[in-house]
Amino acid sequence: MIVTRVFGLFAAVFAVAYTIAFEWHWELFSYHPRSGTFGWGQQASKGGPVMHWYGAIATGLLAALAASLIALPFVRHRQLPHWLGWAVPLGCIVVWGWLLRGFFIK
Amino acid sequence: MTTFLLIMHGLLAVALLGGLTHQTAALLWPARTAGGFTASYRAVQAARFTNANIAFYVLTFVLGALIYPPYRIAVRTWIERARLWHISGLFEYKEQALAIGLAMLPFFWLVWRDPKDASTLTARKWTTAILCVIVWYSFIAGHIVNNVRGLFGQ
Repeated sequence: MIVTRVFGLFAAVFAVAYTIAFEWHWELFSYHPRSGTFGWGQQASKGGPVMHWYGAIATGLLAALAASLIALPFVRHRQLPHWLGWAVPLGCIVVWGWLLRGFFIK
Repeated sequence: MTTFLLIMHGLLAVALLGGLTHQTAALLWPARTAGGFTASYRAVQAARFTNANIAFYVLTFVLGALIYPPYRIAVRTWIERARLWHISGLFEYKEQALAIGLAMLPFFWLVWRDPKDASTLTARKWTTAILCVIVWYSFIAGHIVNNVRGLFGQ
């Protein structure tokens, strides 16, 4: 199956896009749990907490799917390096440790 | 309903933790014979855990996503009022790591498709170990947050 050749790329692009989406507020949508309503993009509070996690996952999935689809013709005759599937996500997890350091040094 | 989903989330997490730890141990420290307890623990056919671990990961993740809004409204606001920033940070890191881990699952399946393929051995070891660490961290962080009022309540 040719589609399996982009699984590593999918993981890598998701990790990067998800991290960027969260950090630069590029969430596809926001969720207001108190009212149970959704809104496009990064939204401000409407008298309660706002959740951006679902929207950031959606952005990451969209980016990863797009990159995988674009890469499909190119991987027909060549294999992408396997490290893409674990080293890039691992790097992003380390980056998240740095981004969230404020919680632990307050 | 939230309590029921939270318990299911916890039970599925236990199953995932057991399966993934078994698979990681069998991959990184394989045992040729099942002599004692630790050798028996590692002497399993690691590849057979792959599909179950993926299913447990997805199910646990979906249940976690479903019970996230009640957490955000009731629990996190309490944590913030109590100024327990490090506890809030524990959970923040859990949600980021788990989301990244979720997208690694197709690749995880790929590198385990043929466990005798030497060309994917390094990727297989790293992917499995990373997911195992993510799941262990999330399990512990989830339990601390779940018991936060008992552990840190004033």
